[in-house]
Amino acid sequence: MIRHLFRLIWNKKKAHALLMVEIWASFLVLFGLGSMIVFNVSNYVEPLGFSYERVWAVDFNNNQDTTAMQDKVNTILQRLKAYPEVESVSRMSSNYPFSTNTMNNGVDYKKRHVMSHFYTTDADFAQTLDMPLVAGRWYGKGDLGGKYKPVVINRKTQEALFLDENPLGKVFGDFRVVGVIDNFKAKGEFMTNAPAVFEMIEAKNTWDKIYLVKTKPGTDAMFEAKLVKEMSTMLVGWNVEVNPLVDSRKNQHNLTLVPVIIFLIICFFLLINVALGLFGVLNLSIAKRRSEIGLRRAIGATARQVSWQFVAEIWVLATFSLLFGLLFAVQFPIMHVFDLASGVYIGAIALAVAIIYGLVTLCALFPSRQAATIHPAVALHEE
Amino acid sequence: MLTNYIKIAWKVLLRHPFYTFITLFGISLTLTVLMVLTSFIDHIIGSHYPETNRDRSLYIEKMALRDSSRTSQNTGPMSFKFLTQYAKSLKTPEKVTITSFFRTSNAYAGSQKIKLNTKYTDAAFWEVMNFTFLEGKPYNDQNIRNGELVAVITDDFRRQYFSDLSEPVVGKDIEVESVHYKVIGVVKGSPPTRFFSYADIYFPYTVPKSNYEQDDIMGGYVAVILAKKASDRKAIQDEFQDKIRRIPLPGNRNGFKYAMLEVGCAPYLESVLSIFMEGGPQVKVIFYSVIAFLMLMLMGLPAINLVNVNVSRIMERSSEIGIRKAFGAPIRTLLMQFIVENIFITFIGGSIALLLTLITIYFINNSGWIAYADLTINLNVFLVSIGVCLIFGLLSGVAPALRMSKLSIVEALKS
Repeated sequence: MIRHLFRLIWNKKKAHALLMVEIWASFLVLFGLGSMIVFNVSNYVEPLGFSYERVWAVDFNNNQDTTAMQDKVNTILQRLKAYPEVESVSRMSSNYPFSTNTMNNGVDYKKRHVMSHFYTTDADFAQTLDMPLVAGRWYGKGDLGGKYKPVVINRKTQEALFLDENPLGKVFGDFRVVGVIDNFKAKGEFMTNAPAVFEMIEAKNTWDKIYLVKTKPGTDAMFEAKLVKEMSTMLVGWNVEVNPLVDSRKNQHNLTLVPVIIFLIICFFLLINVALGLFGVLNLSIAKRRSEIGLRRAIGATARQVSWQFVAEIWVLATFSLLFGLLFAVQFPIMHVFDLASGVYIGAIALAVAIIYGLVTLCALFPSRQAATIHPAVALHEE
Repeated sequence: MLTNYIKIAWKVLLRHPFYTFITLFGISLTLTVLMVLTSFIDHIIGSHYPETNRDRSLYIEKMALRDSSRTSQNTGPMSFKFLTQYAKSLKTPEKVTITSFFRTSNAYAGSQKIKLNTKYTDAAFWEVMNFTFLEGKPYNDQNIRNGELVAVITDDFRRQYFSDLSEPVVGKDIEVESVHYKVIGVVKGSPPTRFFSYADIYFPYTVPKSNYEQDDIMGGYVAVILAKKASDRKAIQDEFQDKIRRIPLPGNRNGFKYAMLEVGCAPYLESVLSIFMEGGPQVKVIFYSVIAFLMLMLMGLPAINLVNVNVSRIMERSSEIGIRKAFGAPIRTLLMQFIVENIFITFIGGSIALLLTLITIYFINNSGWIAYADLTINLNVFLVSIGVCLIFGLLSGVAPALRMSKLSIVEALKS
């Protein structure tokens, strides 16, 4: 049967070439869309690793004021903690959760190399963001001053650097690991769960002036206004800006979602277009093959067999085009284009193949039904 | 003759409404996507309010410092001091303005929080940009020299900050981060896609917290140069680069020893691309090829689809072709007829697309997705669309016409 179908398609190869190009092109578009969707969905299902709901990032900028910076930086911390509306405060570097800043550094341990996100935070960071530790503890004031700087790493860094070893107490570069956390997806749900290293903020560091303030439930913009007013009165010439993490998260989500949604809408219309076209072409080609169908019916083929033939034909055609499309698609995981995991591309290929088969089946179903209703006597009479 | 072809095409269209629908759906969808896209690109890079002088402007938006081995670099906007020394002093331009780039802040009106984009500018800013003043006037050099705490705000910010909109707000007080400013003018706002002019509130650069006194070469400021005419731009670029070349190298900035100093001074499109794309020409090539491939796919797919349907349908008309051939019509005439028919159909699709584009643009402009969005179908967008229509019509018409012209008379007349 299959060989017969191949021969039928081969005989009409010129007429089918365009159809195949069309299916091939749709496959590539779907593959692109699929990669985007699979990548984002697989990121989304990973837990975020921290909670942000009541946390504000308060950004201080000293502008031209450079006197007694260490004192001022500490005064801000004490002042913020003193508010009754505030639960806890932590100071960190400018790549705070959902911000647009990133800081990457390579770290090495026993010839294993990994690019890691670096966050400079203080002792209260885990508490402010409700981050549970998997092993060890978060660093504290007592950890500073030793030969090595205390760091907390996430599970991704642990897996990449230490494999099965117990990471606690291990030294890499001039860092010593004191604790391990699970996930930390600082750019939001759609970020890849990347390796992260948390470094403790040192006393001489006065340039990192983001304060994460966790407020008590029910705190509103009134307190925000009061906080900004009091802070900028206290620090003359400084900028004070409050960004609730909830808002920054929305921005990060839009950055990811808007392109995906636009692409999705365009692809959806393209697919409708292709489906209608396929439907039209199949309809016409079946109308042209009435005599063949009549003959088959006359020598005993059932209606089901006839309609099955047309569906199977389009499947064979789709398979040819998909094989051709796969030649292109597999280059992506092989050549590591865009640095995505191979699993994403394989998932996208599977998704695209499934949609293409579904689409061609849907388009062939109605014309093949029509074909099956052709009465042999009528069809042969026309001939 | 032409009217005859068009009449035939019209009759063919009416014969099978379903196939007509497929054809028109494909054409109008593709053209809508293209038109919205061109309109969007025009919105981003064209000369529109308030940057109507963009076609004779140059933008200095980024400085790059590199060490001698090219292993590390510092890039970013420049300091006010640097731009005053090297850009403001240029002889050839008509006007040069120095303005801060991205800065955000918050204002509070009662319990309501207003997110703000702020800009610190000089007085020339109001001459380089063509803002429409709804109330009051811009600040001038006098205001700036006196260090007056004044501000120009946008109509959008006025609506959010002042509850009573019936009376003028010029002369009223606004508070941003504990500093009180007097409103001196209200302008119609600029869309956020125009980075050099967009803000909610504009301050003279001498107000507190603007960092204009910073003694450094890099900082938070950019410059826009307005040439007397577009053709002067080359001379200005040369003059500017000549000045930059005279900066002593190597230099030291906060401990970073640099051996190379580059400052871009380019027309709008180039400078905007350099803001968003770092990492050398290779990244650009990959980026552009991916975009080109995607565009080809998005436009090619409907075209192939159309060719497919047309090729299948051409046989419907074999008797007509046979008769015309039998009476001596040359292949060229028949080819012409089918191409004219296709272009006619494409233009019908094009008109539908124009309508759909107008609707889409209306929705984009009113959705608040981009504040102050002013996407339009102007002459450029329209001409590009017509061109695309023609290409599309030819593309989908030639293959079926060729197929048909090969048909032998006997074959055609048999049916």
